[in-house]
Amino acid sequence: MKGKRPFDFWIFISVLMLLSIGIIMLFSASYPSAYYYHSGNAYYFVEKQLLFAILGLIGMFIIMRIDYHKLGKISPILFIICLVLLALVRIPGIGSKLNGAYRWIFIGPISFQPSELLKISVILFFSYSLSKRRESLKYFFKGLLPYLLLVGLFSGLLLIEPHLSCTVLLVLVSAIILFCAGAQIKHYLAMGLPAVAVFIFLITFFEHARKRLTTFLHPMQDKQGDSWQIIQSLYAIGSGGLFGRGLGKGMQKHLYLPEPYNDFIFAVTAEELGYIGLIAILMLFFVFIWRGIKVALNAPDIFGSLVAIGLTSLVGIQVIVNVAVVTSSIPATGMPLPFFSSGGTSLTFLLCSIGILLNISKQANYERI
Amino acid sequence: MNNSFNLGFMCGGMSLIGVTLTIKKRLLFMLLFFLTIITALLIRLGWIQIVNGEWYQQQAFEQQNSGIEISAGRGTIFDRNGKELAVSANVETVSINPQEVRRSKKDKEVIAQKLSDILSLKKEDIIKKLDRKSRYERIVRKIDKEVGDKVRKWIKDEQLSGIYVVEDTKRFYPNRNLAAHVIGFTGSDNQGLDGIEATMDKYLKGKPGKILSEVDAGGREISSNEQKHVEPQKGNNVVLTIDETIQYMAEKAMEKAIKDNKVLRGAAAIVMDPKNGDILALTSKPDFDLNAPFAAPSGVDPSAWKGNTKEDIDKLSKTVWRDKAVVDTYEPGSTFKAITSAAGLEEGVITPTSPVTDFTVKVGGWNINCWKPNAHGNETFTEGVYNSCNPVFVRLSQTLGIDRFYNYVRKFGFYDKTMIDLPGEAKSVIHKKPTEVDMAAASFGQRFQISPIQLITAYGAIANGGTLYKPRLVKELTDDNGNIIKTFEPEKVRTVISKQTSDTLRTILEGVVSEGTGGNAYIKGYRVAGKTGTSETLQTKKEGRYIASFMSFAPADNPAICALVILDHPDVYPHTGGMIAAPVAGKLVEDVLNYLEIQRKYTEKDKDALQVDTVVPDVTNKSIEDAKKLLNEKGLTYEIVNKGNTNATVVMEQMPKQDAVVPAKTVVLLYTYKPEKEPTVKMPDILNDTIEEAAETLKEIGLNIKVKGLGKAVKQAVPPGTKVTKGQLVEVEFKQLDTE
Repeated sequence: MKGKRPFDFWIFISVLMLLSIGIIMLFSASYPSAYYYHSGNAYYFVEKQLLFAILGLIGMFIIMRIDYHKLGKISPILFIICLVLLALVRIPGIGSKLNGAYRWIFIGPISFQPSELLKISVILFFSYSLSKRRESLKYFFKGLLPYLLLVGLFSGLLLIEPHLSCTVLLVLVSAIILFCAGAQIKHYLAMGLPAVAVFIFLITFFEHARKRLTTFLHPMQDKQGDSWQIIQSLYAIGSGGLFGRGLGKGMQKHLYLPEPYNDFIFAVTAEELGYIGLIAILMLFFVFIWRGIKVALNAPDIFGSLVAIGLTSLVGIQVIVNVAVVTSSIPATGMPLPFFSSGGTSLTFLLCSIGILLNISKQANYERI
Repeated sequence: MNNSFNLGFMCGGMSLIGVTLTIKKRLLFMLLFFLTIITALLIRLGWIQIVNGEWYQQQAFEQQNSGIEISAGRGTIFDRNGKELAVSANVETVSINPQEVRRSKKDKEVIAQKLSDILSLKKEDIIKKLDRKSRYERIVRKIDKEVGDKVRKWIKDEQLSGIYVVEDTKRFYPNRNLAAHVIGFTGSDNQGLDGIEATMDKYLKGKPGKILSEVDAGGREISSNEQKHVEPQKGNNVVLTIDETIQYMAEKAMEKAIKDNKVLRGAAAIVMDPKNGDILALTSKPDFDLNAPFAAPSGVDPSAWKGNTKEDIDKLSKTVWRDKAVVDTYEPGSTFKAITSAAGLEEGVITPTSPVTDFTVKVGGWNINCWKPNAHGNETFTEGVYNSCNPVFVRLSQTLGIDRFYNYVRKFGFYDKTMIDLPGEAKSVIHKKPTEVDMAAASFGQRFQISPIQLITAYGAIANGGTLYKPRLVKELTDDNGNIIKTFEPEKVRTVISKQTSDTLRTILEGVVSEGTGGNAYIKGYRVAGKTGTSETLQTKKEGRYIASFMSFAPADNPAICALVILDHPDVYPHTGGMIAAPVAGKLVEDVLNYLEIQRKYTEKDKDALQVDTVVPDVTNKSIEDAKKLLNEKGLTYEIVNKGNTNATVVMEQMPKQDAVVPAKTVVLLYTYKPEKEPTVKMPDILNDTIEEAAETLKEIGLNIKVKGLGKAVKQAVPPGTKVTKGQLVEVEFKQLDTE
């Protein structure tokens, strides 16, 4: 049953507020780096971010008007295209190496990261496919395994870029979609055991893995070395106190925090806006998650429901991983903070995917039983 | 709605059509999942920002502010009378922030050239520092204020940024080597490295000031923020219990003793006030000039000396820096017999008049004899102490038993550090589970090691009526205006023996000096008490492997000071404490008591022995009657020499001549004729004679004697057989021969 209804206002308003705060914080966090590294142009990062935000918002309004079922039908092709593009980043002339990783594709004047498109494709394709053959999930080999193999396939492609944070994100989002679609709890538990075994194996036999864990458990032991960024992050957050130093008055962004406009933008926000500001921001994110899950609950069909939870999780997982990393609650992974962290393609694709969520909300079924 | 999560309030008014119940349950589970994690993260954030916020803020502040430090003036160290022992002079330090200098876009070469001109440094070195990536480089430390002002003026004229001239302090020790080990010295950052400079560092150092400017991680100043000055706070002054004059006396005494006795491994002396544990002097030799602590010690080739290598520092630590009085341990030898005596007297197992014997005693197969061949035999306990007979003390300890004996050793503090305010105090090496043999050896001070400071602290208790005090080295702290801001009161540790035992033992130990083996420490008019000590070290080399010591206090009836003298490896014979350490200690005690204006009280014996020197008057060409009168007035006697001419009434010649300084009762020969050649006599051999014997011998042949010391003659100024003019004054040195 489709109804011609308005989109979910709470999602829309929370996204707009987060985007506004995010761009302001991005400016504050990025100007020292922009000033030092980009020949005195303090607006270097924020200019780019604004441009992509506008692009993204336009994309959002367009996609909001496209029936998400149409996207479902093209999702298998989209998914395959993504896998091909992921393979292409390695090919000279098309792919390009930036900061030690092959993540970008240049086609003429356009450049973008296939991994961003992959995020949407995976959510759409998994949801579409699962809505058709959900019953088979009762069985491991017939049901769950094909999806696990697909997850393994794109994870492998992402890992050779390498793009660890995106891999972690998509594995978790896929897991949530499969879980909500009705995957057997016992299958999950069964997969948990080998995971723990692998973890223990890594910690026991690999110096590098152990070092990461040590850095995480005892950050103050090696201030100048591996723990530098996490300590700087804690200094920033701790300096914020209840009310913060005030917008623009943070000290830690002055090249103490590595790329303060990126993964550690939350630490800068914490320093400048204080605990009160963080509560407000995390509340906005929670409003988004709550309304996103509500859209999933009220979606007209299982496909819509799974896409909604997938897109909501896409944002939610990034938020909790990012905050957990900057507060040194989990070992460092390099997850960006949605709507805040600098990154053109990422922001544009994020806003476009919000468009899909809003479209589902428009078709929501609000009738009572 | 049949969902177990009960979150319906958040999703009110929804429908369950279209999406299955399982999916809805799991969606609600996801909502709960996100809610829980976000709540947890908020708690975590609160923990960092609110609970630990201040700490992180402090840490961040420190890294965000450039550390151009202004040194705080270091407090002065005074002696007990307010004389300066260590002072700080104002100097300056020039430093740069290389990043800031580079940013100012001034020519590096020009800056380096000018700095090298003013500061007389190598230009290349300055350029090297200017090229560094750091945000703080020190160009030069501790330069004179005038030079610093030149740099200041240049900075101002040229409007330079990133170059700083800040106040610094430099330590200066006006008395150089005096009390070197007590005072200690400081490092290049004005931090205390040794002695009181190290142990009182927290009071002396003050709080450094800072020129604060907020900087980014690259050390560049963040232009929107201004500089702040935090003024330094001067440190407190430390007033010691040391008396500069007594310290000087002790040091001179040690230097002389080392020279006289060819002491190979240095010496130590401590002077303490037993009434409160105040250390009046503490010296250890060899020592060093506090103004150049890293200089090559004597006997080391200065051209091969760097002073900062590990080997060099090691060498310094083992030699001149080593405070033998506190960080070294040694066998106390016979000085420890006073402790054994105190235990016996306090426990009532012996009295001064108890009959004892020093015949051989056998302990665990070991025969312990008296030092004197064939022993002294039966004697009183007091005589046993005078004669320092080992078997007497072994028997006394056996009467006490291990428990009681070691209880006193413990009570006198030999198991604990004294906690004197000096670094590196040694821990005694003493039996943990003593056996009978251990105790027998310990009863006369062998086979265990203690530090000199421990011994004098214990003797303090014997001298002061029985209370053990912690040695006090720091009297008080004062501020810049001389106001006392903290007083370190004398600290009683415990009562060890009764007043009565203390009195008895003091009398016995006084006898050791006036009658026994400590005779060479005897001072006329001051009642010195003490005990000698000679210990063999484990060294196999033959020459001077002994440690000679003398532990004394005076006056015996009301002790004002305790003094301990230790000579390590004297290369002379005899090497006993009684022979070489006692005279040094006696002289030191005399000097100190004189300085402290303690009245001399002469005993009858003293008065007899006392020969007040007098100047011989000129009596030539005077009548014999007048001459007699003049000599009588001066306390001199006379003898008329007349060549048969009994009627002669005028003195033609005298011997000794006018202005000679002679002892009282000296016989002056009065010649009633002009002798062509004064009659001479042959100098007899008087070595090993007693004073009485020597005086008699010389008097018989018409020579005058000048007595030095007590005991038996060890040195005569004129060798035997020499022809000496009749009536001449011959100096003879006597010493108490201590064969212990």
